[in-house]
Amino acid sequence: MNTPIYLTGTGQTRFAEHWDMSIKDLMEESIDSAIESAECTALDIDMVVVANMLGEVASDQAHLGAMAASLLPHHPPALRAEAACASGAVALHTACALLESGKAQTVLVVGVEKMTDIAPGKIAAGLMGAADAQKDAPSGLTFPGIFGLIAARYMHEYSLSRDRLNHVSARHHKNAVSNPFAQFCKEIPAESISASAKVADPLCMLDCSPISDGAASVILSTKFESPIRIAASQLATDTLSIADRPTITSFAATKDAMRAALEEAEIDRTDIGHIELHDCFSIAALISLEDMGFANPGEGIALYEKENKMTINQSGGLKACGHPVAATGIKQVIDVSKQLKESKSRHGLAHNFGGAAATCGIHILSHA
Amino acid sequence: MRNTPAANHRAQKDLQNKLQEGTILSHTIVRHPPEGFPTKPRVIGLIELEDGSRVTAQLIANCQLPTAIGMKVIPKMRLSRVNAQGLRTYDIAYEVPLQKPVKEEFPGYILALTGPSGVGKTTVSLLLSAKVGNCERVPILTTRKVKEGDQDEYTHVSPEEFLALKNDGKLATFTSIPSRDEKRLYGYRSEDIEKIWKEKKIPVIITEMNLLQGLASHYGRRSILSCGLLPPGKSKRQMLSALLHRLRDRGRDTEQQIEDRLKNAEADLAFFKDRKELFDDLIVNDDVDIVVGQLGGLVLERVKA
Repeated sequence: MNTPIYLTGTGQTRFAEHWDMSIKDLMEESIDSAIESAECTALDIDMVVVANMLGEVASDQAHLGAMAASLLPHHPPALRAEAACASGAVALHTACALLESGKAQTVLVVGVEKMTDIAPGKIAAGLMGAADAQKDAPSGLTFPGIFGLIAARYMHEYSLSRDRLNHVSARHHKNAVSNPFAQFCKEIPAESISASAKVADPLCMLDCSPISDGAASVILSTKFESPIRIAASQLATDTLSIADRPTITSFAATKDAMRAALEEAEIDRTDIGHIELHDCFSIAALISLEDMGFANPGEGIALYEKENKMTINQSGGLKACGHPVAATGIKQVIDVSKQLKESKSRHGLAHNFGGAAATCGIHILSHA
Repeated sequence: MRNTPAANHRAQKDLQNKLQEGTILSHTIVRHPPEGFPTKPRVIGLIELEDGSRVTAQLIANCQLPTAIGMKVIPKMRLSRVNAQGLRTYDIAYEVPLQKPVKEEFPGYILALTGPSGVGKTTVSLLLSAKVGNCERVPILTTRKVKEGDQDEYTHVSPEEFLALKNDGKLATFTSIPSRDEKRLYGYRSEDIEKIWKEKKIPVIITEMNLLQGLASHYGRRSILSCGLLPPGKSKRQMLSALLHRLRDRGRDTEQQIEDRLKNAEADLAFFKDRKELFDDLIVNDDVDIVVGQLGGLVLERVKA
């Protein structure tokens, strides 16, 4: 970072099925609580960046930048960022670029998704927009299907048993019990995971993050200081289709973003005390841990089978908190900041990817 | 997936490239396919094709996880989905080939004559054996009772003997044709056919739909010179009437049996049309000598080639 960027305000709605709330209502609630927690006032916000993927598909609503700006008294300039499930990270990255360039001094970043208004089949088809529409979608694949392929291959290559994989979702649910913003604040025993309905073999329903409504907002500033600072913001990309990659049991974008983020923050991965990683499906958590270098290939599951010094998805992750697509990347940063404030750790990391990690965004937060 | 004609057209540009054999890298069963696809679970695989490129596509086979990884697949054109306007989209799916025992070497040609009762199959086959040097009729194994007027074409066996032969796998093909008073089994012994091949001759076999299909799957379709014999006549009605007269002239059957045979004949005539791929030639039996000449020519042509 050329200039120190501070995380001055954070706010989110509970991730849940909000039948009575629209995109605008969700944004409003999260923006209000972000402003309330910030050092600055609403009028100090110079720009708004909105992250959203499915506005057109699920709510017939585009043009969300202006919609978010209209919730502020002075209608600041606004724009929208979209990169499927990584929209949140891309919006944060955009905000960092605006702040570093001096174009703005205080930026509001809002991630919002409204998913429960349309039928699950339509949402599944809409989410396939994150994959290659001409290569992957015509076969009838869904995102659980893509990760089913990845999981089947991973389990084949590394002889991972279905029973061991159960620990991932079980741990996430256990972590979410104390998180009031989580969609499912409920412990689920490991053996129930593989006993749930099959979605895309070998993945079961409880391996998959749910469909959720929700919004999360942060206020980043170079002007208003706070103890939490963005130490690194990095993006990396890969092919949209998993068929165009040499391997599907490792995500190159995560590796690239991680390398660049550690370099930018000038820290070692052992300095990191908390991570929030993108566990859209249980298998993705293992692959992400391995690609970020916290475990050797094939051994990611070991981190879920014992207690570690570094916390992993203490919030409950996407599995238990819910996964309102574009809000997730921003919610992860909020959770990491909360964890840093509570513990004595200095560094925390948010790992957010879109599609099958075709876009990966990594943010490192540092506590003064 | 909007599934519009233009989007389909673009998506299918690389169809030609997908027409390759490949290996399954991974596979899954999508239990809830997205909107626009049939709702039943869909098996989808990530396939590495022979040229090294990879595709995701539907798999045809009931794969058991995780055993299908590494299996070879072959491309097949399949109906993928139908959109709301009724546009049918076909796409390449990959099939795990069944492990069928494929006869590796080409055993030789068999001349198979198919046709309705009374069309003259037996007469033609007898004449072929007599006049064309390298043809020999294969005796039909049957459990039916000896009847007056049989032209020495059957080898009679008891039903028990027949079943024993069948269970020992000694029959190349067999069928059961029920009649009013008995259940008749017909078949051919592999040993009879292979003996004729050893003498460098072509076996001539009289078949009907089940016998022909059995023979084709036993020796392979390309071993069979399959000819359908049609009664003379421009319409089905005329053909059936020609058969009726011949059966009456033959005087072997009662009027009741003739009626049954004519009913079967209708099915036989339909079979020529429905299973065209099982026949190399359809010949009208107007004059027996011409038919024998034609068949003799066909045999010579094949044997030379």
